[in-house]
Amino acid sequence: MTLLAAALLGGIGLVCALVLGVAAMTFAVEMDPREKLVLDLLPGANCGACGYAGCAAFAHALLENPETEMVCPAIHENDVKKISEILERKLASLGGMIASVCCKGTVKDVADNYIYEGPLECRAAQLIAGGSKACAYGCLGLGTCEQVCPFDAIHIGEDHLPYVDKEKCTGCGKCVIACPRHIIRLAPFDLPKCEVRCISKDSPKEVKKICSTGCIGCMACEQVCPFNAVTVMKNSAARITHTKCTGCGLCVKVCPVDVIESVIELKKASILKDKCNGCSICSQVCPVDAPKGELKNPYTIDEAKCMGCGICIDKCPKKAIEKRL
Amino acid sequence: MKKTFKGGVHLLEENFLVSSKTIVDMPLCPIYVLPVHQHVGTPCKPIVRQGDVVKKGQQIAEPAGYVSVAIHAPTSGKIKEIGPKIHPLTGRKSLSVVIESDGKDEWVDGLPLNRDPFSIGREKLVTMIQSSGIVGLGGATFPTHVKLSPSKEKKIDTLIINGVECDSHVADDHRLMVEHPEAVISGAKVIMSILGLNRSIIAIGKNKPDAIAIIREKVPPEIQLEPLEVKYPQGAERQLIKTLTGRDTPSGGLPMDIGCLVHNAGTCAAIWNAAAYGIPLIERITSVTGHGIVEPKNIRVKIGTLLKDVIEFCGGIKNPAKILFGGPMMGIAQYSLDVPVIKGTSGIVVLTQDEVSKSSYTACIACGRCVDFCPMQLNPSMLSRLGEKSMWEKALNFNLLDCIECGVCSYICPSNRPIKHFIRHLKTLEREAKSLYGK
Repeated sequence: MTLLAAALLGGIGLVCALVLGVAAMTFAVEMDPREKLVLDLLPGANCGACGYAGCAAFAHALLENPETEMVCPAIHENDVKKISEILERKLASLGGMIASVCCKGTVKDVADNYIYEGPLECRAAQLIAGGSKACAYGCLGLGTCEQVCPFDAIHIGEDHLPYVDKEKCTGCGKCVIACPRHIIRLAPFDLPKCEVRCISKDSPKEVKKICSTGCIGCMACEQVCPFNAVTVMKNSAARITHTKCTGCGLCVKVCPVDVIESVIELKKASILKDKCNGCSICSQVCPVDAPKGELKNPYTIDEAKCMGCGICIDKCPKKAIEKRL
Repeated sequence: MKKTFKGGVHLLEENFLVSSKTIVDMPLCPIYVLPVHQHVGTPCKPIVRQGDVVKKGQQIAEPAGYVSVAIHAPTSGKIKEIGPKIHPLTGRKSLSVVIESDGKDEWVDGLPLNRDPFSIGREKLVTMIQSSGIVGLGGATFPTHVKLSPSKEKKIDTLIINGVECDSHVADDHRLMVEHPEAVISGAKVIMSILGLNRSIIAIGKNKPDAIAIIREKVPPEIQLEPLEVKYPQGAERQLIKTLTGRDTPSGGLPMDIGCLVHNAGTCAAIWNAAAYGIPLIERITSVTGHGIVEPKNIRVKIGTLLKDVIEFCGGIKNPAKILFGGPMMGIAQYSLDVPVIKGTSGIVVLTQDEVSKSSYTACIACGRCVDFCPMQLNPSMLSRLGEKSMWEKALNFNLLDCIECGVCSYICPSNRPIKHFIRHLKTLEREAKSLYGK
């Protein structure tokens, strides 16, 4: 009996498979095999930022119309190159962007105006007397950015602040629009080296009163920066011009409220002994006194002091300094 | 058949705390804070500078546009500061004029005068109302002169004086009608003369029998008195028009579109004061009430008086949980005692710890009570669920923008859901999307 049932079912299965197989062959839609390859390289979030109905529609458009440009803001640069190879035409990437959060005020750092008990949605919380946090510019920490992110790339940490997963963030900008406090910014993927984690426009006195880590406009960073990359304006947090910043980290060290953070880890300098002629220029230009030695003798770099700002590398007439791998 | 509208709720009546208390004048305070944005529309522009000496009734900020009204000094003194101070409605700092009182409370030259408002002329009356800083005193603070200048194709045939005061706790209009019925009635006559009407309706809630009796005695034949059912939100513009005239205000339209005009009783009194005596809107009647206040009072308070001074005058607070500007249904909770009383502050309600709900909300059980009680016949249950997901585009199909934010749905929800909050969230998203992408 069991055997009969198995044979029957198996038979039905076989017949159906045959019918389906034949149908698949006769009614097959001819598709460019490259379309699948392109689609696999697109981010696949169907966010619609390109203006097409989704990633599949955009992949189709790329193949159909040779004038279609790479308008996906979320795609990684390497994938653009691969798509260019597949399509055999040059596509220019929009430039990978990444979100960065400009607030460091955790629940402990910032005073509260009142206790919020409503829905866990920053935009809704903002409606009740402008949010419960005393700072009108700081992160509310209820996770609207996390909810809207189609790439699962931003998460609220234990300190109720959002953290961006650099691997996953594609710079699509959804969190930037959703954040009611406008504390998330987009920056080119590899450009920012230091970030000021505050956008407050309150007076320094007010900031000091409500937040222990808000920018108080003391200008220490502006004065110490050897590249004129930091500017502090009246009643506004310090700002870093990313194109000028080398990431030397001097401002990070001097900031009294710890609001500036180093985003990248810099490689330290090292002197090639056979090239160095002991001219002492490096020790003159170094902002932290890292090169040591005597005139006319090869210098060495004090690793504990060097921050990897790279000033000496540019100034060395003998090209004797390079970054340690 | 009872004259009323569909939906709405009967609130717990707490008006008895202040409804029989005579209005008392609030004594002078050392500091007055006047935000330049106290009305719906464009914020006005300060015309005084720090250090200037001002007199009571002197204009200190001028309207910056058509939908904007002037602001006047509530007392004589010196301008101490013009800078950002906490605003009671937004909770954030906004530009305010701070006046340090000199204790003399001297009127500016020529005020108060005594004139016959009916000889001034229509157009002059309307400009005078704007320059006197008069806005809707029920709480919405819409500039009154805009309502009084309807476009030519919109013919106004009914004026409704709103003395319903349906929110629990507050009784400022109630006391005003009991103590100054002639100001309300005369103000209504001024409005009628501006609009060229020969009849109007004055609506009063049936929970104010003393006010009904006094108005009935004083009311002239051209004004019809209508006692109305005690129900919330009977005092809302659209519900009031529907009850009294049977007309429906179109979605997205104004009462003007169906020939109606609603003015609050307090606004009428303010218009009378401005038209007959030239006194601008520098003070208003406010109920300071709730079980959390030691001595509930009805006070005549100068605009700009700080909340802490008001509370001190009323004997302080006991076991407070929330301090609201406005009634418990529509009021706005305050987190600081340094906020000023503004033109729209009809009541200051202090709720105690036992009165406020602190349990968190749960999922919608689709019981449909909010649908039954919604005075706008919307589907708040669906809107709240869409609000949870921030889906404002879909909510537009459920007539999101018709919500009058009365709060009945949140009041009766057995799951304790903050439905009105969700709806406000959706409305904000819609507004932001509109400003971002046009349309």
